[in-house]
Amino acid sequence: MRFVDEFRDAELGRAVSGQILSLVEPGHHYKIMEVCGGHTHSIYKYGVDDLLPANVELVHGPGCPVCVIPMGRVDDGIALAELPGVIFTCFGDMMRVPGSHGTLLEAKAAGADVRMVYSPLDALRIAKQNPDREVVFFAIGFETTAPSTALTLMRARAEGVRNFSCMCSHVTIVPPLRALLESPDLRLDGFIGPGHVSTVVGARPFEFIPASYGKPVVIAGFEPLDILQAIAMILGQLAEGRCEVENQYKRVVPYEGNLRALEALEEVFELRPHFEWRGLGFISHSGLRLSDAYADLDAERRFSVPGVRVADPKACQCGEVLKGVIKPWECKVFGTACTPERPIGTCMVSSEGACAAYYNLGRFAREREVV
Amino acid sequence: MSGRPHAYACKPDHCITCGDDAVAMTVVRIDGARGLALCEDPDGARATVETALVDPLRAGDSVLVHAAVAIAVLEPHAWEAT
Repeated sequence: MRFVDEFRDAELGRAVSGQILSLVEPGHHYKIMEVCGGHTHSIYKYGVDDLLPANVELVHGPGCPVCVIPMGRVDDGIALAELPGVIFTCFGDMMRVPGSHGTLLEAKAAGADVRMVYSPLDALRIAKQNPDREVVFFAIGFETTAPSTALTLMRARAEGVRNFSCMCSHVTIVPPLRALLESPDLRLDGFIGPGHVSTVVGARPFEFIPASYGKPVVIAGFEPLDILQAIAMILGQLAEGRCEVENQYKRVVPYEGNLRALEALEEVFELRPHFEWRGLGFISHSGLRLSDAYADLDAERRFSVPGVRVADPKACQCGEVLKGVIKPWECKVFGTACTPERPIGTCMVSSEGACAAYYNLGRFAREREVV
Repeated sequence: MSGRPHAYACKPDHCITCGDDAVAMTVVRIDGARGLALCEDPDGARATVETALVDPLRAGDSVLVHAAVAIAVLEPHAWEAT
């Protein structure tokens, strides 16, 4: 398969692994954060970490869209879903995220009309097919997904679909990275940058990381060789004393991003002053809401949304996992009270979540086997 | 939705929408008036894709699709750039 097979070649993988081995200093422990949940999933699916020397540690970042949604936001979604006449639509993983009184899936079982969609455009189609019902789309995701929501809202406006609205929980990737870099309990040597977010925003938004914090960033694709090569490029920068944003994923990511997607985001959304992140608390200018020009399509303005704030369960350590401070198996409830079948925390819900990736792909071990 | 899952849909072990993932698809047919294209994934599954962010497209182009929206065009020899 074109664009895939080339990046799963075992021979090349061993060669890059050897290159990585030649770049590390034996006495130094390297911590590299993969920002995106898609990378976390690929690393454990393909065993990329088994090809790394023992002193190169991968730390899992906050880039799983489901994992960062706070419980109160789920409760708000359920409140909307339970309104008479509403069809509530969302992506599949979002249906299993626990709020303080259950999940959207459980709300569906109790009678609410909650439907899984693969795209916001599917939600718009449902609205057109049900003109006598109010259809709400629960929008989550980083800058990769936000343009789909923007285009859908622009289409709804152009086609005059009045029974469609959006509960926007889109987030942006840069503010949590800045918050992590300011965090005193985290020492990182470099970042594997998010490939598909960068397809939209480009490489420029990450330039502050080397400029202000002195850490290399390499934007990477999602195949195992992409990730291995990105690690080699980060280690290469460290070995040569360089510190910059590099683009390993040039076959997809233009340095400037997708300007038309950015224009669509600019037209439809504006930054919220604050947005609450699961485990990370409130982060300024990190969440999107609909701009005044699209106020009539904003579910939070069309309906009364409780806006509840719910503290995370005490036993759950998703916050520390999202910040890379602890490994999933160091959480007190990992694999016992919290499993993919009955998740307590969001990191166990989506397979892109670090906890689910560890649980599903067998990384229960406290000590990693060394190559 | 029913029938065969689209290439950009959630899989049992991996939700590509939630995971900010995307999939390479080939353009089969273009509906320029509506800003849509019929695209095919490597397994032959077809889906209608919004093309406003990457137009103009031609049949045979490879595009990266996320949540039914094409977000980038893949160059024919782009892998060599990696």
